[in-house]
Amino acid sequence: MRRSVFFFAGVLAALGAGWAGFPRVIYHSRPQPVDFSHKVHADKAGAKCEDCHAFRDDGSFAGIPTLDKCAGCHAAPMGTTAAEKNFIDAYVTPQKEPQWLDYARQPENVYFSHITHVKRAQLKCVECHGNEGSTDHLRPFEQDRVSGYSRDIWGGQGRPGMKMDDCVNCHRRGAAESMRHPGGTPRAGERSCLDCHK
Amino acid sequence: MTTRRELFKFAGGSAVGLLLTPAPWRLITDTALWSENWPGIPRPARGEIRAKFTHCGLCAAGCAVRARCVGEQPVSLAGVDGGLCPFGVTGHHLPYHPERLRKGNRQEAASSVAGAVAAAIAHCPPDQRVAVLDLRPGRTASWTYRRAMAALKRGVYLAPEEPACAVNLAAARTVLSLGAPLLDGWGRPSRVFAARPDFRLIQAEAVESRTAALADQWLAVAPGTEAVLGRAVAGAVSVQQAAEITGLAEEQIAQVARALRENGPALIVAPEMTSEVLGWNLRLGAWGKTVLPRREAPVPREWSKAAPVTRLAAVKDGSLGALLIDESVPGAHLPWATIQPKLAPNAVVVAFAWSRAGYARHANHVLPTAVYPEAWGDLPAAVDAASAEFRLTVPLVTAPDGMADPAEFVSTLAGLDAKGFENSAALRQRAGAIQASGCGGLRTYADGKSTAVKDMKPGDFWKALNAGGCWTGEAQDCGNLPKLAMPVRDCDAVSKAGVGMSADGPTGRPGTGPEGAPCATAPWPFLLAVDQPGAASLVSPLMSKLSQESGLRLGPHRAAMHPKAGFEDGDRVVLETPYGRRPIEVAVDAGVPPGVVLVADRPEIADILGADGRARVVRI
Repeated sequence: MRRSVFFFAGVLAALGAGWAGFPRVIYHSRPQPVDFSHKVHADKAGAKCEDCHAFRDDGSFAGIPTLDKCAGCHAAPMGTTAAEKNFIDAYVTPQKEPQWLDYARQPENVYFSHITHVKRAQLKCVECHGNEGSTDHLRPFEQDRVSGYSRDIWGGQGRPGMKMDDCVNCHRRGAAESMRHPGGTPRAGERSCLDCHK
Repeated sequence: MTTRRELFKFAGGSAVGLLLTPAPWRLITDTALWSENWPGIPRPARGEIRAKFTHCGLCAAGCAVRARCVGEQPVSLAGVDGGLCPFGVTGHHLPYHPERLRKGNRQEAASSVAGAVAAAIAHCPPDQRVAVLDLRPGRTASWTYRRAMAALKRGVYLAPEEPACAVNLAAARTVLSLGAPLLDGWGRPSRVFAARPDFRLIQAEAVESRTAALADQWLAVAPGTEAVLGRAVAGAVSVQQAAEITGLAEEQIAQVARALRENGPALIVAPEMTSEVLGWNLRLGAWGKTVLPRREAPVPREWSKAAPVTRLAAVKDGSLGALLIDESVPGAHLPWATIQPKLAPNAVVVAFAWSRAGYARHANHVLPTAVYPEAWGDLPAAVDAASAEFRLTVPLVTAPDGMADPAEFVSTLAGLDAKGFENSAALRQRAGAIQASGCGGLRTYADGKSTAVKDMKPGDFWKALNAGGCWTGEAQDCGNLPKLAMPVRDCDAVSKAGVGMSADGPTGRPGTGPEGAPCATAPWPFLLAVDQPGAASLVSPLMSKLSQESGLRLGPHRAAMHPKAGFEDGDRVVLETPYGRRPIEVAVDAGVPPGVVLVADRPEIADILGADGRARVVRI
């Protein structure tokens, strides 16, 4: 019995370190430059996702809005919160672009088309970005110390990640769904390498 | 007491336990992702994706360009009305060319060169002149040079011959091309290919070029004799004489002449639209139909005090005490052998160049300049533009610090106020003159709209030009053109002088030596220079890399010959002419006619290519 104790103690220690300690070590948690509330903008200002995260006329996706867009409404403080004051003083007044940390940054060798997914496949923003649009605070950006990418798009196990497997799995599910409902919305199946790696 | 065995058991258990955690698997994935970002991996620019418009400055055609930019970095170029040529598509690579001049203290160099030239001007004898050689005349910068040379008492403005006329391909029904790369970058590809379905193309050329392959009829003439066919069609030489020289059948030449007469409007085009080519077109009745006067955009009235355009041939030998060569934009290349005799023994030669491949090899001083798409400038009217045009090469990327502005340099040298003569100021003045004329309209590519200039507010015109707009003058009233009569060389003169392509082009019958004397024992092969991506003036690193590594197109240091020439693939030979020797590698190609050596059109080749167009091939 004593012989096995040390072996299982090693197993338990490794499991503890691997599951509890490793994520704390491998991910570097950084706050976003501005404590932005999607909830306030959606509820009080009545903004929709595409009001700020818009498609340009040529179909390309503008992504995170630039300061010009924010300053359209926030030229002067709108409210008395500390976050608002910080935003006006640190960014709007000196005309300095906030260095947002992008949870969904793609690797350089990947071409991702938002318009194909949103307009053609009719995916909702929440399918990849989760409840980000209704949160009151931006969660910390957990950057992988080795790869440099975000831990995931919107946090938590089982949620969309940034690995190719995640893209492939979703496309496989889409293909299966299309086969079950041939007349429905086209959900792309597996494609060639050049669809994403142009 | 814990034993060593128990420690090993603990370690073993830890290793097994670790496999059941995400740590090793995460590290494997992360390492793979990290390897995408390690040093040396190119990092594409990030930023807003938007389109900018400009005009291609790589040749005088000046195609409208839509540049897809990420942030401030152009990442791809495309034509606005149609495709671009292969050079144009990769034009945004040019600033990163390995031969780009960018090192050294440029500010210091510019001031010391200015001092050297000023000293040369001050000390040279009264019969010596100071000249600017402008390789792309007709630009606003060209006007600045002319004004500066007029201000300088002994100033001369030198420029190669400009097209004698404009061509309206859209009106043509039959086109005879005498070796012009009509479908391979001669005019604007968008215009040429838009008009292509409506005309029959007869291509007379020694080799089966891309244009020859795409033409309705290819006439494989003897190399260097294309012009004889033009003269025969115009009636300047007899069909029999032309057949003997070109190697074509008499019936073939008669057929071409008949096609041009009966299926008009007809047009004859050559690589250079010289006055002789214009004369042939006049004989065909093309004036006012397919051939029109060449119009230039208006210039401010105060620019009228400008030096006349002088041809290099008109300059006395040994009379140039200082020569400034503007090679900042790709243009014609005059062989160094024709320039050198004009220089005085202690002449100072300054080249404004972006690479060291051209005249920089011969100059005493070289000042680096901005290059397309960094350079700010305008373009002369294209040969296939029926109306006057004014369009800017709007910079897409910022030029490195300290690049020389040749126009500013020359005007300072002439003692003029440099501020009003720097290229951006002169362009603005010219735009003002165009707007003041109230003629024509301005087309903006972003919205595809055309606005009459007279309806535009002051300032809007300049702003629209800088957003990539193109001003086009009023359409020419073809019914009211002045009558033009051009002498065409008579048969006797031609037959006595031998066969000539043009005053500057190859002359002499096939199989004769460099002086026109028969070369009985071993006829010198004809050296045919073709536009290739290796040409220094029109090179993109991507295209030159592709051409050098793929062998799909003739590389810059290779020469293609027929198998009967007796050489093997990869043989090293020397091309030898009275003007110099150039080592080159042989590429055997059955598509090249016997007696022809096909080479890429590079300055090194142009320098040794004499007027007869022949070279001896010597095995090393």
